[in-house]
Amino acid sequence: MTMYGPSGVDVGDPSEGSVDPAETPARPPGRTELVPRLLGPIALVVVMAALGFLLSDNVLLTLQEVLALAVFATATNLLLGQAGLVSFGQAVFYGLGAYTVALGWLHWQLPFWATFVMAPLLGALVAVPIGLVALRARRLYFALSTLAFSELAYQLAESRYDFTKGANGVFGAFVPTALTYPRTGYLFVLAVTVASLLLLWKVNHSPFGLVLRAIRENRGRMQALGVNVYLHQLLAFVISGAFCALAGAMFVVYSQSSYPELLDWTTSGGPVFMAVIGGMGTFLGPAVGAFIYQFGHDELVRYVSDWQLVLGVVMLVIVMFWPDGLLGGLGRLARLLRKRRGDR
Amino acid sequence: MRRRRLAAVTAAVAMVATTSACGASSAGSDSGGTVKIGISTSLSGSIANLGQTGLQGLKLAIDDINKNGGLLGKQVQVVSADDNITPATGASNVRSMITSDHVVALFGPVASSIASAEEQVAAQYKVPIFFHTSNDASLMSKTFTPYAFQNVPNTVMEPRAVADYLAQQVTKSQPITIATFAPDYSFGHDTVDGFLKALKDLHVNFKLVKQEYPPLGASNISSYLSALVAAKPQYVFNAQYGGDLVAFTKQAASYGFFKDTKVIAMYAYAPLAALGDQAPAGAIGFDRAPFWAINNPQMASFIKAFQTKYGKYPTEWAILAYSAAQQWAWGVKKAGTFEADKLIKVLPGANPPTILGDLTIRACDHQTEVPEYVGTLSSTGDSQFGGLHLYEQPVFTAPFDQIALTCNEVQSMQP
Amino acid sequence: MDLASLVTPLVGALSAASSLFIVAAGLTLVFGALRLINLAHGSFYMYGAFLATTLAAWSAHTGLWIALAASPLLAAGMGVVVEVGVLRRLYAREHLTQLLATFALLLIFADLALRFWGKGVRGVSPPRVVRGNLELAGAPVPLYDLVIIGAAVVVGGGLWLLLSRTTLGWKIRAVVDDPEVLAASGVNVRLLYTGVFALGALLAGLSGVIIAPQQAVEPGMDAQIIVAAFIVAVIGGLGSITGAAVGALIIGIVETMGASWAPSWASTFIYLLMILVLAVRPWGLLGTPER
Repeated sequence: MTMYGPSGVDVGDPSEGSVDPAETPARPPGRTELVPRLLGPIALVVVMAALGFLLSDNVLLTLQEVLALAVFATATNLLLGQAGLVSFGQAVFYGLGAYTVALGWLHWQLPFWATFVMAPLLGALVAVPIGLVALRARRLYFALSTLAFSELAYQLAESRYDFTKGANGVFGAFVPTALTYPRTGYLFVLAVTVASLLLLWKVNHSPFGLVLRAIRENRGRMQALGVNVYLHQLLAFVISGAFCALAGAMFVVYSQSSYPELLDWTTSGGPVFMAVIGGMGTFLGPAVGAFIYQFGHDELVRYVSDWQLVLGVVMLVIVMFWPDGLLGGLGRLARLLRKRRGDR
Repeated sequence: MRRRRLAAVTAAVAMVATTSACGASSAGSDSGGTVKIGISTSLSGSIANLGQTGLQGLKLAIDDINKNGGLLGKQVQVVSADDNITPATGASNVRSMITSDHVVALFGPVASSIASAEEQVAAQYKVPIFFHTSNDASLMSKTFTPYAFQNVPNTVMEPRAVADYLAQQVTKSQPITIATFAPDYSFGHDTVDGFLKALKDLHVNFKLVKQEYPPLGASNISSYLSALVAAKPQYVFNAQYGGDLVAFTKQAASYGFFKDTKVIAMYAYAPLAALGDQAPAGAIGFDRAPFWAINNPQMASFIKAFQTKYGKYPTEWAILAYSAAQQWAWGVKKAGTFEADKLIKVLPGANPPTILGDLTIRACDHQTEVPEYVGTLSSTGDSQFGGLHLYEQPVFTAPFDQIALTCNEVQSMQP
Repeated sequence: MDLASLVTPLVGALSAASSLFIVAAGLTLVFGALRLINLAHGSFYMYGAFLATTLAAWSAHTGLWIALAASPLLAAGMGVVVEVGVLRRLYAREHLTQLLATFALLLIFADLALRFWGKGVRGVSPPRVVRGNLELAGAPVPLYDLVIIGAAVVVGGGLWLLLSRTTLGWKIRAVVDDPEVLAASGVNVRLLYTGVFALGALLAGLSGVIIAPQQAVEPGMDAQIIVAAFIVAVIGGLGSITGAAVGALIIGIVETMGASWAPSWASTFIYLLMILVLAVRPWGLLGTPER
């Protein structure tokens, strides 16, 4: 895993930060190295699957939501951490994914398996025109454009209520009964999460991912080298859109409903903040951030009446003093310790 | 690099382990002499007042129950949480209250979408839920569950009651011009459509001259308002409520709009208090439970107790929450247990005494046979209630059987 | 064509535009000088409005007039605290960090407001002298709409004078282009930043007290206003006061036309307009091009 720049994403000026050579593998890992590297993640997946039989129903249901958010945040981080594109509009796809399942059932009685597969496809499809338009704006203006798309989608969902059922949301039996049981639902969502994260990992570690990061570091240089920056960013946007939509469909397994708030800019801000908490410069950071944020939020809202105050203060402290996020900070700590040891 | 991934994996496992620890420990909450009820509602954001006053009404009801020796010998505790106007948060709050706090009953949120989400959870865990603010008619029809009860006039009843009142005010021969002004979302459209349909059914001779749907939550409505003013309607049916209605009234008043036009809107205690002497005299107001129009000794002492405790008059949400709690408590006493399955056999068809009167809980849809109140705003302040401009007496009380859907109609929509 | 039927929508559009301008002016000014998007701008606006209701409740006749001075001062004070305590440390960081920080502040202020002023709806009446309406070509024109239009002219004119005719204004405009040169010439740039942010906050507080008599003062009004202010500032060009005026006028006119002809689509169209501007001319109609 590589570290992306000293302070994570640079949205403004081209970054001077370079990738720490000690972190980059000089050659692809051989077979003997692969097994120990895979051991950690495999162990994690096994543990999480086992927990499906150990944890209470309540926690399993919350984990379903958290896993959906983990995919949402990781997909968003493809833009944020990898491509350096701050998007405040990924909720458009998240909500689109959720509404695909809900409205597919409501209007055309489509089965869950069909709509679940349709969701990421629709997400990718819709990402094309949005990306084409939004990517014409750079940096901050791109962020504002995606924010506008998010609000636009929310408005449409509220006002086209004959089709979308508006503010009341869509509630119904669109999830197969088997998946409504906490354990099976959790295992299903876990399986989809693992598959999605694997695919997103592949994207990060492909030549495409490398080019994205290079564009993020120095757009001008890449353009001079003949790289079609716009196309690469668009492709990243489409991939992110597809997985965000898939996350939305996963959310429906948990909530068995869809509603307009899933599209608005505050929902878009969620995965961004989760990526910041967990560490935008790392792959699992956003997933960790999703975990911390959702559990923290749920507990907070239940037990603290001034939860907005606490959430605001925590957010402020994190962005001010811990911008690399949890995993980023741990990584820095690890490198620091290693350097100390190396000095002796 | 390996170290970093190890750190990530360790962190993830640690978190999952923590979760399982939290999840596994079931808080033993039914300690000896207490029992808990839960309410997840909107305590922040623009509808915070509806949620907050509902919670206040509920708390007062529970205080009164506890003062009189509790329920079945146990003291009742209220567990509350903010749903942040998000259905997923409402659902997870409620689920957590059921599984961790072991609440024996739930009381309803403000927004109907959140109510639908909570209704699903309540049905799944078989916990009775009482809707006292969210009033979408589909809660008791399309998504009906025997564990749900509603004591607030629903989205079918309210516009019908208003149409009834209007029909009495106008002569059938002269056509009246009507315009509508509603926020551009499902509640706004449903209420307007319901009103117009009810007018047609009552053979009121009217002409629709304008329909405005400003976006929900728009802070700036002057463009929409000026279009409305230009249409010069005799009556305007406005589906806004709370702060939005206050803003509309102030801006419309500065056009002199209320001189030639009768505005019909949800002029309830909160907006009337905010408007003070700017409350539009002659306008038609409708309210789901106006404290000044319900005359019985129980209500009178409730109003006094509420004022003493909270320093304000009770909103309709407080009144409805209080009476819902009364219904629940009566049901528990009658059934002799807190168990949901026995409770839901006792309540339908019964008429528990509440501050709203001894109203029947209709068996086919668990809807309390509440009336809707409609009246004309008075030009003078009511000295009995601190100079507030309220409705002229007698306030029209649209009877339930005239405004509600029939049992046949409801049952045809139920799952 | 009947003149009366033109007057009402025209005044409606101008009044809508004026409200939007007064709120957006501070937001765009702060971006222009500090390159910072302040999501807590809505919080200053809300506090200005709430303070007006408190003062009006305390003294029915003079409360609102006192608030006209007190609310902007309160907001400016909050602005100083925010800038010195939080934002100053984040200038070197990316826009994302600043956005998240100001969002966190929005949450904090929202919660504190619930504590100070409760969760109910509050109101304040306009001064008696500007209640009611006057007749213009047979159509009623609300007096308070004229007040708001007048206030927008005063604020706009004042800002223009400040930025183009005073040394302070020149410094504010200069600090965007080259803060190092400015600092080298002896200007206390740090103080300047604080001052500009405080001015932006002051304008927000002022807009709160001016608009309060026409609106409901309630929780959630901070989030409600910020999106509208954004759209205006972006379309007009972040950093340009004239741009904010033009953007406000465009939105006012589009809303009014939409209200008459296609009520459900007006706000959709406005978002599309914002997206279009960002795609074709991201720095807005009157902003400074930057690539």
